[in-house]
Amino acid sequence: MNNSENVKGRVHMIVARTVVYIILIFLAILCLFSFYMLIINSTRSNAQLQGGFAILPREHFLDNLKNAWNDASINIPRGMLNSFFIAACSAILTTYFSALTAYGIHVYNFKLKKPAFLFIMAVMMIPPQVSAVGFIQLMYKLKLTNNYIPLILPSIAAPVVFFYMKQYLESVLPLEMVEAARIDGSGEFRIFNQIVLPIMKPAIAVQMIFSFVSSWNNYFIPALLLDKAEMKTVPIMIAQLRSADYSKFDMGKVYMFILLAILPVLIVYIFLSKSIIKGVTAGSVKG
Amino acid sequence: MKKVLALALALCMVFTLCAISASAEEGKVFNIYAWNEEFKGFFEKYYEVPEGVTVNWIITPSDNGAYQQKLDEALLNQANANDDDKVDLFLAEADYILKYVDSEYTQDITALGVTDFSNAYTYTVQAASDAAGVVKGVSFQCCPSALIYRRSIAEDVLGTSDPAEVQAKLDSWDKFNAVAADAKAKGYYMTASFAETYRVFSNNASSPWVDEEGNLQFDPQIEAWIDQTDEFIQNGYTLTAGVWDDEKNAQMFADGKTMCFFGPAWYFNFCMGNAQDPEKGCSGDWAIIEGPAAHFWGGTWLLAPAGSDNPTMLADVMNTFINNEDVCTALVANEAQFSNNIAVNAKFAEDPDYGSAFLGGQNDVAIFSGMTNNIVWENHTIYDQLLNEGLQNALQDYYKGNVDKDSAMQNFYNYVNETYPAIVTP
Amino acid sequence: MNKQKKKGISYAKWGYIFILPFFIAYISFTLIPQLMTFYNSLFENYRNGLTQIGPNFVGLQNFVKLFTPDKSGTIGMLKYFGNTMVLWLMGAVPQVLVALLLAVFFTSYRLNIKGQQFFKTVIYMPNLIMASAFSMLFFTLFSPVGPVNQVLLSSGMVDKAIDFLGMKISVRVLISLMNFLMWFGNTTILLMAGIQGIDQSMFEAAEIDGATSLQVFMKVTLPLLAPILVYTIITAMIGGLQMFDVPQVLTNGKGTPNRASMTMVMYLNNFLQTSKNYGMAGAVSVVLFIVSAVLSLFVYNTLSKQYKK
Repeated sequence: MNNSENVKGRVHMIVARTVVYIILIFLAILCLFSFYMLIINSTRSNAQLQGGFAILPREHFLDNLKNAWNDASINIPRGMLNSFFIAACSAILTTYFSALTAYGIHVYNFKLKKPAFLFIMAVMMIPPQVSAVGFIQLMYKLKLTNNYIPLILPSIAAPVVFFYMKQYLESVLPLEMVEAARIDGSGEFRIFNQIVLPIMKPAIAVQMIFSFVSSWNNYFIPALLLDKAEMKTVPIMIAQLRSADYSKFDMGKVYMFILLAILPVLIVYIFLSKSIIKGVTAGSVKG
Repeated sequence: MKKVLALALALCMVFTLCAISASAEEGKVFNIYAWNEEFKGFFEKYYEVPEGVTVNWIITPSDNGAYQQKLDEALLNQANANDDDKVDLFLAEADYILKYVDSEYTQDITALGVTDFSNAYTYTVQAASDAAGVVKGVSFQCCPSALIYRRSIAEDVLGTSDPAEVQAKLDSWDKFNAVAADAKAKGYYMTASFAETYRVFSNNASSPWVDEEGNLQFDPQIEAWIDQTDEFIQNGYTLTAGVWDDEKNAQMFADGKTMCFFGPAWYFNFCMGNAQDPEKGCSGDWAIIEGPAAHFWGGTWLLAPAGSDNPTMLADVMNTFINNEDVCTALVANEAQFSNNIAVNAKFAEDPDYGSAFLGGQNDVAIFSGMTNNIVWENHTIYDQLLNEGLQNALQDYYKGNVDKDSAMQNFYNYVNETYPAIVTP
Repeated sequence: MNKQKKKGISYAKWGYIFILPFFIAYISFTLIPQLMTFYNSLFENYRNGLTQIGPNFVGLQNFVKLFTPDKSGTIGMLKYFGNTMVLWLMGAVPQVLVALLLAVFFTSYRLNIKGQQFFKTVIYMPNLIMASAFSMLFFTLFSPVGPVNQVLLSSGMVDKAIDFLGMKISVRVLISLMNFLMWFGNTTILLMAGIQGIDQSMFEAAEIDGATSLQVFMKVTLPLLAPILVYTIITAMIGGLQMFDVPQVLTNGKGTPNRASMTMVMYLNNFLQTSKNYGMAGAVSVVLFIVSAVLSLFVYNTLSKQYKK
C-alpha cells in the first residue's frame, strides 16, 4: 500500500518535472531569441543588415568589434567605465539608504511614521517623466551639468526600492530580534549594519541588480546633462551612433555596441545572483 | 630723421600689438553644437583652427528631440554663460531652421564679415534669413532633390531609359500620374511609399501651414498630394510603407518592382544601400532627373548664435565652407556632397570625365546644377517639420485601411494641438 | 531611575535619523521639480519655437481641455487611459502568474530543478537590453519584409505579408509580449527572494503534516509571500501606468494604428517634447497621479486585508 503510493508519487513527480522543464525551456528560448538576433546582427555588415534579416552569422564580427572599440569619436571603453562608476554608486546608495529608511519606518515608532510612509507611497506613483523636465532645469540653474552628482545622489531616495525593503522586512524581520540585540547593548546603527543588513542580503542583492541595470541603461537624463565626450555613458554613445550622419551610419557597429553594453550587466548579474543564493542558504542553516 | 623713423616704427609696433591683443581677446574655446559627426568630419579635415583656440564639440543625438532641447537651454542661457561655455556656432536642419533664424538668439552674419553670397544658392541664403531679410547663417551643402528612376523599368514602361526623354515624359504631375497607370499595367509600382512625393508638393506650397491668425490651413499643393495619394493607393500604384520603412527599402533591390524614388545626392549615395548591394543590388541601373517639380530635401546650416565670443573665427568658418574654392572642391570630390558653391559645382558639371557609377555614369552634379534655379524657399513656418510628419503619419493609418479619412484627420488635429498649442485647428 | 522611565527610552529620534537622508535627497532632487509640475498645471505655460508663452494663471482650464471631447466625440485622456490599462493587463497578468509559478518551481525542494542558475540568468536577460534596443529588434522582426513575414510567406501560410505593426491587435500583443519578456524574470527573482525569506521550518512542518504541493502553496507560501506579492502587483501596476518606451519606440511615438497603442505617458510626452507645454503636461501628470494612487490604494488594501485574515 505504502509502496504503491510511493510509486504513484514518483510518477507524479516525473510528470511534474517534465512539464516544468518544458515550460522553462520554452521561456528560455523566447528570452534567448532576441540575444541570438543581437549576436547574429553584430556579425553582419551595415549593407547586409540593410538587406534584411538573416538567421545565420556572417563574417563581420571582428570588423564590427574593431570599429566599435576603436571608433575615433566614441570611446566605448571610457563610456563603459563611466557607466559602471555611476551605476555601481547608484546601486550601492539606493539599496543601503532604502534599507535604512525602510528599517527606520518598520522598527521605530514616531509621530511622523505614518505620514512619512504614506508620503513615500504616494510619490512612488508619480511618473518620473513628470519631474524630469523640472529636474533638468534645476540642474542647469545649479550648474550641475557635466557632473555625476545629479546622476548618483538622487538614487538615495528610491521610493520603489524602499517599498520593497519595507515589504521584505515585514516578512522576515521579527521585532524581538531587534529587542534582543538592544538588550545585548548594541547601538542602533550597529544593529542595522551588523544584524539587519545581513538578514536582508537577498533583498539587497536583488535590488542592487535592478538599480544597477536601470542606471546602466538610463538614457534620457544623462543625455541632457552630459555633453563632455569623456563623461558620456554607454546609452548616450549608442544613441549617438544611431543618429550618426548617413555617410557613417553603421548598424553593425550599433549592434556590437549594444552587445558590449550588455556584457558588464550580465557579469554583475551572475555575480550578484550567486550572493542571493548564498544569503538564502545562510538563512536556512540558521532556520 | 632717424628719430622720426624710430618713432614711426615704435608706433607701428604698438598698433600691431594692439591689433594682436584685440584678436587675442576672442574666446579661447570655440563651442560647436551639433547632433551628429558629419560636419565635424569636414571641419577637422578642411578648416585650420587659429592657434590658441580649442574647438569643443557638443554633440547631442537628436533622439527624442534631445538635440534641440539641449541647444535651446544653452541659447536661452547664453547671456549668463561664461565665455568659455558660450555657444559659438550651431547646426540646424532645414526642417526647423526657422525656429532659430526667426529669433533673437541668432545674429546678422553680414555684420561679422560674411558678406559674399554670390556663389551660394539663393534658397540656402533665404532659408537662413529672418522675416526682415537679415542673414543669420550659411549652409555648406545644397540639397536639390531628384527623381531617381530604375533605368530598366523605365525602358520597359516608357520605352526609353535616356534621362532627357524620361524627363520629357515625367515633367508634370499629369504625365507622372498617367505613367503610374502604365507602370501598374506592366506589373510595377510607380513609388514605394505613399509619402514618396510629399516633399515635391509641400516644397512648392503657395501658402504657409499657419496663417497670420494662427489657423492651420491646407495649401492646394498639400490637397493635391492627398488627392494623388488617394488615387495611387486605390489603384495600387504605390505601397503603404513610410518613406524610411524597410518595406520601401526592399524595393531598391534588383528584384524590386518600383520605378521612382525621390531624393538628393546624400540620399542615393548613402541611403540606398540595398541598391548598392554587390549581390542583390542593381548599381548602375539608376538615373536622376528633375521630375514633375523642383524641390529640395534636408541640408545642414551653420548658424551664428547671438553673443558668441569668437565672432572672427565664426565668420571665418562660414566663409571657408561657402567661399573657399579648395574646400568646396574637396567636398564634391572627396565627400560626395553637392557643395553650396555655384562656381565649384559648375566645374564638375562641365567635366566630361566626372560621373557617378551608381547612376550609370550620369553626371549628377550637372543635373543638380540645372535644378537649383527652380528651387524656392517661401511660405515656411517654424512648425513645418512636425506638421508634415504628423499629417503623413495620420494619413498612413487611413491608407493602410485602419481608419476612415475623418478620424485620420481628427488624429492629425489632436496631434497638432498637443504639439503646438498656439495653432488653431479646424 | 524607575522602570517606567527605562521602558520609556524613546527610540523615536532614531526613526527620524534613519529616514532623514531619504527625505533630504528626495526633496532636493525630486519633490521640488514635482511640485513645480503640479503647480504648473494651473498655468498656461509653453514655448512657441523659442518664445516663452506664459506662465499665465488659467485656473483649471488645462483640466477642462483635457476632458473636452474632440469633434469625433473622443476624450483623449480617457482613450489613452483605456489603452494603457489594456496593454498593462495583457502583459502584467501573465507576468505575475508565470513569475509566481517559476518562483515556486525554483524554490521547491521536491522538484529540485537542475540548471537553475542557467534558467534564472536567462529569464532575466531580456531586462538587460535597453528597451529601445529591444523594441528596435522587434520592429525589424515583425516588419512587412521582416523574418516573421518571410517565414510565413515562404511556408505558404499567408499569401500577402501581414502588417503586424499596422494592426491594432497585433501591435498590442507585441507590446504586451515585450513587456512580459522584459519583466517576468525580474518579478520571478523578486518573488523567489520573498519565498526564500520565509522560514523553512514552515514548509517542513506542512510537509510533515502531509500537505500536498497545492496546499502548501495556498496555505503557507501565498499568505507569507503576501507583502512581496502586493509589492510586485503594485509596482507592476505603476510600471504599467507609466508604460512608455516600448510602445514609443515600436510605433515611432505614433501609437499606431489610430492611436490605439498610445499610452498616458506617451500622451504626456507629446505635450513636453516640442512645446515644453508644462501646463498641459502638468495636468496630465496630476490625473496620472490620482489614477495611480487610487488604484494602488485599492490593490494594497484588498490584498493586505485578504491575507491578514
